[in-house]
Amino acid sequence: MTIKFMKNAKIWLVTGASQGLGLSLVKKLLESGHKVAATTRNIKSIENEVGPRSAFFLPLAVDVTSQAEVHQAVNQVVAHFGTIDVLVNNAGYGQTGAVAELTDKEIRQVFDVNFFSQINFIREVMPILKEKNSGHIFNIGSIGGYTGEFPGLGIYSATKFAISGMTEALSVEGKAFGVKVTLVYPGGFRTNFFEPTSIKNPVKPLEDYSTVHTAQAQMQSHSGSQEGDPDKFSDVLIGVSEMKNPPVHLFLGTDAYEIAHEKAKKVQEELQKFKSLSISTGFEVTE
Amino acid sequence: MCLSRLVSVGALFFKIPVRGINFINLSNMKDNKIWLITGASQGLGLILAKTLLQNGYRVAGSARDLPAIEVALGSKTDSFLPIVIALGDEHTIQLAVQQTLDHFGRIDVLVNNAGYGQSGTIEELDDQEVRNNFSVNVFGLLNVTRAVLPVMRRQNSGHIFNLSAIGGFSAGYPGLGIYAATKFAVAGLSEALSEEVKPFGIKVTIVYPGFFRTSFLSTGSLQVAKNLNPAYLPVHQAQHEMRRSMDGKQFGDPEKLAGILIAMSENPDPALHLFLGVDAMQVASDKIKSLQAELTKWKKTTISTSFDA
Repeated sequence: MTIKFMKNAKIWLVTGASQGLGLSLVKKLLESGHKVAATTRNIKSIENEVGPRSAFFLPLAVDVTSQAEVHQAVNQVVAHFGTIDVLVNNAGYGQTGAVAELTDKEIRQVFDVNFFSQINFIREVMPILKEKNSGHIFNIGSIGGYTGEFPGLGIYSATKFAISGMTEALSVEGKAFGVKVTLVYPGGFRTNFFEPTSIKNPVKPLEDYSTVHTAQAQMQSHSGSQEGDPDKFSDVLIGVSEMKNPPVHLFLGTDAYEIAHEKAKKVQEELQKFKSLSISTGFEVTE
Repeated sequence: MCLSRLVSVGALFFKIPVRGINFINLSNMKDNKIWLITGASQGLGLILAKTLLQNGYRVAGSARDLPAIEVALGSKTDSFLPIVIALGDEHTIQLAVQQTLDHFGRIDVLVNNAGYGQSGTIEELDDQEVRNNFSVNVFGLLNVTRAVLPVMRRQNSGHIFNLSAIGGFSAGYPGLGIYAATKFAVAGLSEALSEEVKPFGIKVTIVYPGFFRTSFLSTGSLQVAKNLNPAYLPVHQAQHEMRRSMDGKQFGDPEKLAGILIAMSENPDPALHLFLGVDAMQVASDKIKSLQAELTKWKKTTISTSFDA
């Protein structure tokens, strides 16, 4: 792969980089001359796809759920590149199953990878960005982090909702230090998300939720034909990282756009419907 | 007996509005619904339990230990069952649910109310603090829900109220991001749950209260970050000021919230999203507006990511 020399190359740290959106982003970044540290569980895989470690590219095997490994990884990135400019919290996977079907262990596991890992990286990278009074954090959420309407993905949605709430607060907390924060809500993108190699199914499915399983299977049957192009996702992120006033909330995909609008409308309607109840809860104010 | 007691007793036999809240005819207490409320020894949970009992409903109320719940609501009676639930311990939850069934025969309404606030910036909180907040507010809620659902499924009826917070819909302020994240998660999983349990005749309502006059903001309830990072001094100051000015002076009346939940439980078409408080309504409305505006502003970018036809 030819690498352009870029005057203002930024140093990016991308998690979950061995496939899907993460891999596409790493490749696009390197193609446009940026420097990239990429975390993965499988170093060989990413080296096959991208190439070996170089002055521009640092692949790291990291268990993102381990605070200690994340700490070490960030140190290695700084040792290699001198600093970090952009963090992309992308690592995550899909977990299917009705809310009541998943065990406590399965629930904690998907929160571990999808949510707590983001905090691990933020804890390590924020001080670096704050010190420079600059930098950008992209937390990759999901349209499922704005609506929980997707059948059999409720717990996955919960992890993405958590990212949404956390990132809203982070964006305000970072503002005081010149750190930009963007919450990305991708719709369906053509990755391995629904493939057996990536997605996890309940270890103890319950017969009673067969309608959920059917709806889920229907959704999964579209794997490989999702409308979203990972390369265009990457182009957008790179473009947004150059903006003076980037969005805080960034939905990606026509499906995400439409679904977000619908959800907002639904909530607005319910707000109206129960308005008189909602505003009736104050203590009587005595003159 | 004093007037308020007279009114309460009278309400059992007539359709008398109590504190402005209309209740259905309660003369046949046998039919009154059975409520299981977690975190019933203080705050919204306690006031809800008291209001229910005053109006002839039957309640199983939980706390982390028996003394806490008995001090708050008394010992076991025909209409009240104190239960012990450690939210992270599924055995205690199974036991508590069984005791409730043994005592009352059914569970009609579950109120997942137990939870606590955790202040601190995202960067400040340590891993344990973050996980603990989720353990109680999210994983604990799920543990209880999983234990009660089979009961409701067998009944082919039931209503689950999951307490989120207005901070579970809009979190654009500093120093409560992890707590907000837990409440966002509750909202998200509840949306899915609502669809999944509809075929069983079970209803789900997400409750997003604004500020209500409970001990939520007090030092005992709202946890402070163990390691305050001096870089966030303005955030600490703002939070300190918020607690000082609001603790004990919140506008929301917990008794009115209780009344609304009770009425909602009798509503054949209950809300999925229920915002309570003028503040909650305003914040929710503002969040939707600003998100719609951002969606519109960035529309071109948003829809640019499809594969070429």
